[in-house]
Amino acid sequence: MRYRFLTLSFAVMFLAAACGGGTSSGAPSTGGTGSNAPAGSESAFDPASISGSVTLGQWASSPQEVQALTGAVAGFSAAYPNIKVTQTTITGDYRAAMVTKFGASDPPDLFYINAEYAPEWMSQGYLLSLDDYIDRQGFDISKFFPDYLSIFQQDGTTYGLPKDGNTIAMAVNTDLVPTPPTTMDELVQVATSLKGKPGLKAPMCLNPSLDRGLAFVYAQGGSLLTDDGSASAIDSAASKTAVQWYMDLFKNGLGQTNTQLGDGWCGEALGKGDVAIAFEGGWLKGAMDAFPKIKWQFAEMPTGTSGKKVTINYTAAYGIGNDSKNKDQAWVLMQYLTGPEGMAKWTSGGIAVPSRSDVAVPTGFEIIVKGADYAKPGSGFMPGYPDVLKAFGDAFLKQVTDKKYDAGPVVDATKAAITSALAAQ
Amino acid sequence: MTAASTPRPGKVAARRVGARQEALAGYALVAVPMLLFLVLNIGSILYAAFISVWRWNIRTGPQQFLGLDNYVKALNDPIFQSAVTNTVYYTVIWVPLTMALGLFLAVIVNQKIRGKTFFRGAFYFPSIASSAAISTIWIFILNPFGLFNEVRGALGLNPLFSLLGYDANQDWLGDYHTAMNGVIILNAWTTSGTFMIFYLASLQAIPHEVYEAAAIDGAGAWDTFRRVTFPLLRPGHFFVATVGIIGGLQLFDQAVQIGNVDGAPANSLMTLVLYLYNAAFKRVQYGYAAAIGVVLFVIIFSATLIQRRIFEGREPTTA
Repeated sequence: MRYRFLTLSFAVMFLAAACGGGTSSGAPSTGGTGSNAPAGSESAFDPASISGSVTLGQWASSPQEVQALTGAVAGFSAAYPNIKVTQTTITGDYRAAMVTKFGASDPPDLFYINAEYAPEWMSQGYLLSLDDYIDRQGFDISKFFPDYLSIFQQDGTTYGLPKDGNTIAMAVNTDLVPTPPTTMDELVQVATSLKGKPGLKAPMCLNPSLDRGLAFVYAQGGSLLTDDGSASAIDSAASKTAVQWYMDLFKNGLGQTNTQLGDGWCGEALGKGDVAIAFEGGWLKGAMDAFPKIKWQFAEMPTGTSGKKVTINYTAAYGIGNDSKNKDQAWVLMQYLTGPEGMAKWTSGGIAVPSRSDVAVPTGFEIIVKGADYAKPGSGFMPGYPDVLKAFGDAFLKQVTDKKYDAGPVVDATKAAITSALAAQ
Repeated sequence: MTAASTPRPGKVAARRVGARQEALAGYALVAVPMLLFLVLNIGSILYAAFISVWRWNIRTGPQQFLGLDNYVKALNDPIFQSAVTNTVYYTVIWVPLTMALGLFLAVIVNQKIRGKTFFRGAFYFPSIASSAAISTIWIFILNPFGLFNEVRGALGLNPLFSLLGYDANQDWLGDYHTAMNGVIILNAWTTSGTFMIFYLASLQAIPHEVYEAAAIDGAGAWDTFRRVTFPLLRPGHFFVATVGIIGGLQLFDQAVQIGNVDGAPANSLMTLVLYLYNAAFKRVQYGYAAAIGVVLFVIIFSATLIQRRIFEGREPTTA
């Protein structure tokens, strides 16, 4: 009996080894791109001639989001009655769920891609190049805000079209801050005057990471990367000064983190009246409906020593998988949803702001869309950015927690992370 | 228990005839789960070990043979190091704490007291509640303006806490010095009910005669516990410690719910399994993630072997 078990276990080992070997022999050594281009790529592509079905994979941050997308998809079904759309909401960790679908060669035909992980998905070969479709249909991509589109392009190839965008703006409680500050010096003055105000836990709610800090780094002429993107610039004099300036807001009691305030996020802190100023994107508008007592407004980000208007943007795109089954149908849906008509329908849902300059701005989001003209990417602009974000955030939080408020270790940790992220390319 | 299975001499010959068939039937029945175990468990472990020596793309498979590079990288990776430290720290503190708590509760509800069924249910309840719900409640309790800080303020304990360096609105789960201890206390509370059940089963397996003998010899309650109950619980200790260490080394969900996927605040809740998840799904480095998995397997396997060695030497029965 013992021998039989041994034989069996050897058989299983061989099976496992064989599976591995089989995969390796058939696999290309890099993520393929051009090989999946549809047949007859020279001929013009007419979306109206396509029929069939398509699956659409999405995350759902709220029921309103599902409703808004369903409205946009209804518009598509009216315009392209020959294509049947099946929406699938992926719950839980969207990124992890999608990666397993890529692994199983079974992604939805069309799906969301968040800017955060776009560089990894592009370089891993998960995504289909859209160049061929764009050329054959003559789809105009010049109307997208360039700093949204560039995140989904790699080595001159476009892998995704931005479905919407958001920029970070300043949100102020208008009872406490009737005139929003326009420069960073004014911001410090206003915050200082609010210090110790009864009922207010802190003047500002501040995110102890690059998710908001990057906007203040840019505003003071600093940056993470040199202009050509080849090296770290967080250790430049301007960047260091900017990080220390941001840290000093905590040191001088002008701002606290959302967890120090006991709130889930800074929008909640503003809504509960714990702070008078927060820095958030368009998503704040819907969230503030839960706090009708607080009067507030968006204002443009205050300008820093650079004197130029600057903020950071966040975006997400639609993409097609290299292994998606119905690529043509997916493209037809994509060019509708990211085109002027589909995007107008989608953004009228009050969830997101257009990523195209030729779509009307939904009411209440004027400041957010204005920011898109001068915003720099807040994520997805370099490979391995999540590691850089984490290095900065961890080091920054340690300084704040330990009440040391020294930008030096933060800059060092961030520089090390940038260097290793660029080296891993 | 052993007396029932001792064969009587007259039956031995008859048994030998049927024994072969019985054994075959037994192996046939075992074969199916064994096959699943070999394919799904052992097979996966071997496959993970295979992946760990490659730069691996989840869509297209192996890209570049790296040998032991992924392991070398892990050993030099500061976040991996803090993941190991955090995981070991958690296990070393949490397992004995929860065992002590579970044993204490088990001894209480093993007494002949009124309403012991109610107490058993009440102590076990946190174990069956969803970990997400309990974690959320914990976050509310330890919020800087939450129940815990309010109560200690009302009780006038703040001077004591300030001696330890914690101010009135200490952010227990947001401060990287205290977050892991917050998780340890939470899990000690929620898991102690499960350990209580295990200990209760062991306690009830101790024969009454032993206690009677101890009473006749004039042993008091504490001496009885220390010299009779505690040593006789050795199989129980072994089981609970094994289950606890394996579970402790796999800490994941509470760390994510209380911190986030990044092991916030500042890596203090980064555990080995969480880091594996990060490597696989965030950085899409599957070879590296597999190497971390193999390291975790080696750590758990050796911890269990060491423990077995410790308990085996002095085990009174083989049960």
